[in-house]
Amino acid sequence: MMIHYKRFLSKAIILTAVSLSGFSAFSQEDQSAAVKQSADTLNTKIENVKSDLDLLKKLKISGYIQAQWQLADTTGQASAFSGGNFPKNADNRFAIRRGRVKFTYEGTLSRFVVQIDATEKGVALKDAYVNFKDPWLQMFSIQGGVFDRPFGYEISYSSSLRETPERSRVYQTLFPGERDLGAMLTIQPRKESRFNFIRLNAALIAGNGIAPEIDSKKDFVGQLGINRTTRNEKFRYAIGVSYYNGGFFQETPNVYKMTTLEDSIYSGKGFLVDTTDSNKGEYARREYYGLDAQFSLDWMIGLTTLRGEYITGTQPGTSANNISPNNRLLPNPYTVTSSNGTSTTYSGGPVDTYIRNFNGGYVYFIQNILHSRHEIVVKWDYLDPNTKVSGNEITSKVNTRSTKMGVADIKYTTWGFGYNVRLYSNLKLMAYYEIVKNENTSLTTSTANYTKDIKDNVFTLRLQFKF
Amino acid sequence: MKKLIIVISIMAILPQLFAQNVNCKIKGSDTVLPLTQKEAEVFMKKYPGSSIMVTGGGSGVGLAALQNGTTDIAQSSRKMKLDEKMKMQDAGKTTIETIIAYDAIAVIVNPSNKINQLTREELESIYTGKVTNWKEVGGDDMPIVLYSRESSSGTFEFFKEHVLNKKNFSPSALLMPATGAIVQSVSQTKGAIGYIGLAYIETTVKALKVSYDKGTTYVAPSVENAMNKTYPVTRPLYYYYLNTTEKAVKPFVDFILSTEGQKIVREIGYVPVK
Repeated sequence: MMIHYKRFLSKAIILTAVSLSGFSAFSQEDQSAAVKQSADTLNTKIENVKSDLDLLKKLKISGYIQAQWQLADTTGQASAFSGGNFPKNADNRFAIRRGRVKFTYEGTLSRFVVQIDATEKGVALKDAYVNFKDPWLQMFSIQGGVFDRPFGYEISYSSSLRETPERSRVYQTLFPGERDLGAMLTIQPRKESRFNFIRLNAALIAGNGIAPEIDSKKDFVGQLGINRTTRNEKFRYAIGVSYYNGGFFQETPNVYKMTTLEDSIYSGKGFLVDTTDSNKGEYARREYYGLDAQFSLDWMIGLTTLRGEYITGTQPGTSANNISPNNRLLPNPYTVTSSNGTSTTYSGGPVDTYIRNFNGGYVYFIQNILHSRHEIVVKWDYLDPNTKVSGNEITSKVNTRSTKMGVADIKYTTWGFGYNVRLYSNLKLMAYYEIVKNENTSLTTSTANYTKDIKDNVFTLRLQFKF
Repeated sequence: MKKLIIVISIMAILPQLFAQNVNCKIKGSDTVLPLTQKEAEVFMKKYPGSSIMVTGGGSGVGLAALQNGTTDIAQSSRKMKLDEKMKMQDAGKTTIETIIAYDAIAVIVNPSNKINQLTREELESIYTGKVTNWKEVGGDDMPIVLYSRESSSGTFEFFKEHVLNKKNFSPSALLMPATGAIVQSVSQTKGAIGYIGLAYIETTVKALKVSYDKGTTYVAPSVENAMNKTYPVTRPLYYYYLNTTEKAVKPFVDFILSTEGQKIVREIGYVPVK
């Protein structure tokens, strides 16, 4: 009986163990299936999030705001090249100099960019272009829309990075607003190539700034440059040459060119007018040659940077103004908008054309202090808008065949001294003082006496937030 | 007795109190990745309060992440470029550079390939596309399939500069996003050739001996040969971090540079600094 009971117990235990182990195995399978299902679901979710993120990563939003306070030498000071003229009754002012938001969509071989500038003066379009790279060699790209003119270095060097408040006078004069409307071809070997350091840009543009095109003539602008860094990553050098060939619509037959005048009333240099009827509707040549160079050395006292640029050529303008058209409307009236947003409308009938040979340039010296957040900058720039005359030769005397010379013929030299500190990674503080010198001439106008240096120095204190 | 227990307890707790836990993100070079992962693993075991997240992507990606503030340490298999330094400076950031180990670049082929060694000149000819068949360098009649890293990789730049003498890669080179992908591709493709960091060598691929003296001597890629400087294709591996976060990441960097950390360097297949 006892044995029978033991057998029964053994069988029962074995049966229970077998059934339990079977149940347990079944349960484990079930569990692992559930875990696998959960993992699959999680993987799918992660894949979905990743693909959404990848899509979002293609769209980049960046921007910066520059809030500043400026102090001038006098009330109502004419400082068109230092951020705009001061209000009539003020020698200091607060301003939002730039308030930029940039949207960039980066595809594999394409890029779409829109940038706007929002300040207390209003909202303006800065960039709007599309860029495509060839899918085969990936060394040719085509860009169309509104973009920086490919000339020299200072145009395309972002205002958020620049160590001084404004671009040089020569650039603000020749390329107000920096941008133009057109199409550009860029040739640059791909990054893997040993010739990647060479870059060629060639563009056909409207020549009227960001405003709609007003004529069928296109301006050409081209640039060839190299940019190399030594093997030890301590020294970088870049050199470029640029060329601009465009036209300036002649609204009247009267075209003035510089010459030496000799008659009973006036003897000396001045403008001689050509009144040939066919001049009207033709284009005066607008031609610039540029040379630029940049050097950076990373050494024990910090990063030292030296930049320089020289531009020479022919600039057509009016008697009072030699700023390139940036929003010209034909026929008159037309508006010239300087790079700081100040617009001047010229009206009262068609204007005559004045041809001037010019040259200008700048040199920057920037020294970072011991690899810290602090840097000092010294800048020298000049523009001689009419190289055929200088000093006292610039006079308002009128010859029987000529018109007077004016403020558009005066050479300016500017020394700038600045200090920049990055307070945080997004926040930069700039203090900059500009000493603006005009050459002493024989010219006086109703508003200024150019026989001596007029008071137009400016101090700028700027806070920039960049994201 | 009570006092003794208290003293012993305090002595046991003290090191934990003074041990600096590290919470940081490390991103960048795929070459440095296995080393950092192992070091982080050991460090986190030692200091359980620490949390170190390690990801790859390439040296350029890591340095860009350091600049935009999405990583604390950029691991890099090349020196920071001047352009990158200037961007850092513009963002008001000052970086600290530390060499944590050295690496040797190994040239690998499929194990079925009868080639065992190549000169630098032959490697240059192969990777620039002048030589397209293995028979031209003493192998079988079989087309060469080139594998390379992408241009954002520090290994890519190092190989181009030191092996190709700055010449262009052949346009037919297949650019892979990660070192692991090169190992896998070479192991599965008969005529394939690739280059990888020493630590990535597996039995599924064959590492070639390399000659930098036009065939007089061929040296195999190994930690020993890299340490005794007979293997020519070696380079430093870097950590870059900001001076503002130095205090937070320094314990981990110091750990890597310690005897214990450098022992791991050796174990993983890299060359110790000391």
